[in-house]
Amino acid sequence: MSGFDLRKQAPNAAVWLILLSMPLWIDAVGGYTQLGTQVVVMGLAAMSLNFLLGYTGVLSFGHAAYFGLGAYGVGMTIRYLVPSTGLGLLVGTGVGALAAAIIGPMIVRLRGVYFAMVTIAFAQVFYFIAFRWNSVTGGDDGLTNWTREPINFGFATLHIEKDPVTFYYFVLAIFAVAVALMALLLQSPFGRTLIAIRENERRTRFLGINVNFHIWMSWVISCTFMALSGSLYALLNNFVDPRTLYWTQSGVFVIMCVLGGMRSFWGPLVGAAIYVVLQDYLSSATPNWMSFIGLVFVVAVLFFPRGVLGIFRRKSTE
Amino acid sequence: MTGNNSGNINRRRLLQAGAVIGGAQLAAPYLQVARASDVVKIGMDNPLTGTYAALGKNEQIGAKYAVEQLNAKGGILGREVELLVEDSTSGDAGVAVQKARKLIDRDQVNFILGNINSSLAQAIANVANEKGVFNVDPGGHTDSITGKNCHWNTFRVCNTTATEGAAIANVLVKNMGKKFYYLVPDYSFGHTLAAGVENAAAKVGGIKVGEALTPLGTTDFSSYLIKAQAANPDVIIVLQQGDDGVNVLKQIVQFGLQKRFHIAGAQLELEVLLGLPPDARIGTWVFEWYYKQPNVPHVNEFVAAIRKRSGGHVPTARTYFGHTAVMTCALAAEQAKSLDAVKMAKAMQGFKLPPEISLMPDGAFYRAGQNQMIGDLYVGHAQSHGKDDPEDLFVVEHVVNGKDVSPTLAETECHMTWPKV
Repeated sequence: MSGFDLRKQAPNAAVWLILLSMPLWIDAVGGYTQLGTQVVVMGLAAMSLNFLLGYTGVLSFGHAAYFGLGAYGVGMTIRYLVPSTGLGLLVGTGVGALAAAIIGPMIVRLRGVYFAMVTIAFAQVFYFIAFRWNSVTGGDDGLTNWTREPINFGFATLHIEKDPVTFYYFVLAIFAVAVALMALLLQSPFGRTLIAIRENERRTRFLGINVNFHIWMSWVISCTFMALSGSLYALLNNFVDPRTLYWTQSGVFVIMCVLGGMRSFWGPLVGAAIYVVLQDYLSSATPNWMSFIGLVFVVAVLFFPRGVLGIFRRKSTE
Repeated sequence: MTGNNSGNINRRRLLQAGAVIGGAQLAAPYLQVARASDVVKIGMDNPLTGTYAALGKNEQIGAKYAVEQLNAKGGILGREVELLVEDSTSGDAGVAVQKARKLIDRDQVNFILGNINSSLAQAIANVANEKGVFNVDPGGHTDSITGKNCHWNTFRVCNTTATEGAAIANVLVKNMGKKFYYLVPDYSFGHTLAAGVENAAAKVGGIKVGEALTPLGTTDFSSYLIKAQAANPDVIIVLQQGDDGVNVLKQIVQFGLQKRFHIAGAQLELEVLLGLPPDARIGTWVFEWYYKQPNVPHVNEFVAAIRKRSGGHVPTARTYFGHTAVMTCALAAEQAKSLDAVKMAKAMQGFKLPPEISLMPDGAFYRAGQNQMIGDLYVGHAQSHGKDDPEDLFVVEHVVNGKDVSPTLAETECHMTWPKV
């Protein structure tokens, strides 16, 4: 914990350098700022899931629910209550956190595939509410007729509504705070306990640690950040539809984690970047883009079971 | 794993942010130059996969043919025309929105077309409005697109669901009976189409005896058909389209429902009839365009040209929509002598399409204040085999002029707000 270790900090510096300079080079390589923003938002979502999946060792297949709750939270706040982006973000994140806190106690006693199944079941409940409640959520058509609003800090106004670059840095700033919080939590004794649970649950229990409570905490934290990223996703598109809550979306988040590497902090971000960019390019080239993404996933699981970042880590430890 | 030395990172981050902000000032003019290219770009954000894939491919064929015709005559305002196609999927509005932004932000398209799915069309229209890009909805029918949620920059080629419902309701009540049961695809298109038929039927004494909402992409309709049967209607109104339409009609025939009830709907596509076995080509429907119009000028040339480009297949209403949508963009630019979206949209108010593009006996025009194209509708019945052409599966009984059945401008509830110049 002391001193500045250049080798340890190099990956962090590289990630931040790439993220901060994204709007400068993304057009030149055939992308667009919107795509960069999407990578950051999906990266945050995947990293949130990884807090639970990679660091606590619990597989949730229903995280799209909290992603979608965040998205609907911000959309419905702006549409029906107050046209305020800041309040929308708070409501979206809060709703996701509240739902996770309530559902948590019902599922923390389950393990493995049972945990995954029940998280799917709860997620589908939210999906069907959003799908069926036409008059409020817009049903299958999605929630439209609202847009992100400029943020007034009192002394200055941040115009995120039109300029994509300003919005990118707004998202990146929130991403930075969220990621720093997650990193701090993982460095803390609490984070070490989570890793202990992942490595050997029975042993952790013998040490007198309340395992279920810690899993509940990890679940709530993970879902809260998930809801935050969902809110950002809704602001990005100025649009929400029920598919953000659907179980296949949860699967996409798991794929991102596995693709990038769930044992490394930045892995899910890399996975999200690969997934989002591949999807964007391939779906323009061929209607069968899903097959190719599937292929990439199969190759990744077969040859790099620790994800793309796993390759580098193995090399550095050898 | 990560920043345990936050002081250093913050300083680094600050320096980087400074560099980025400085760099962005230099980069901005370069991006402006890149925008002014010589090609006029038309972005098409339409389904190529899922239940509407077949319809989407035909709209694409029509659009490509129009681009070919334009380029042969020197393009739009003397600039070459390029068509960029993105798969919006058939029902995922999130993807459609993402693709619309990609076409507008990255590819800098001058026009954006889409979508077959009404929900996706509305979502794309909202993005286009936010960005101020000229938008044509070739084939998404729900009323709100040129109604409650209309935009100054969104033009629609296909009819509103209210118009389609009104075109057929009279015929059904007069010839088949008053009790209707509705099989409704569960999204905006289905909801408004059902409401359109219901309202028009109610005016002439039609009664709704029940309805079933079927999610988009349903393959097994048996539970809905049992409910329909139990309600004992005179007419079962089938509003499903695409693959859903194929599946529901096949199963209606398997259940033998066509022998006990009339089967009808407010809209059907030739693609659906082609996808059905001959004995399931049943019912009374509205077509929005049909290729057999021997007395209408230019239709035969259009059919011949499309046959050459589609492996011998005839154009459907979808091919027509795609073609008309691209031509609308070209006409708007030529009328305004500019690619400025506001000028183009103003130039198209009340614009009457030339006969080689409208391809309808009474012609077609864009109604001012709503941007909705109003043309003819074709009411008739399906037939199992074409006499001299295997694709001639529809018999037109009446041509209904859209002017007579469209809701009035006030009824559409469209109030446009134009941007301040």
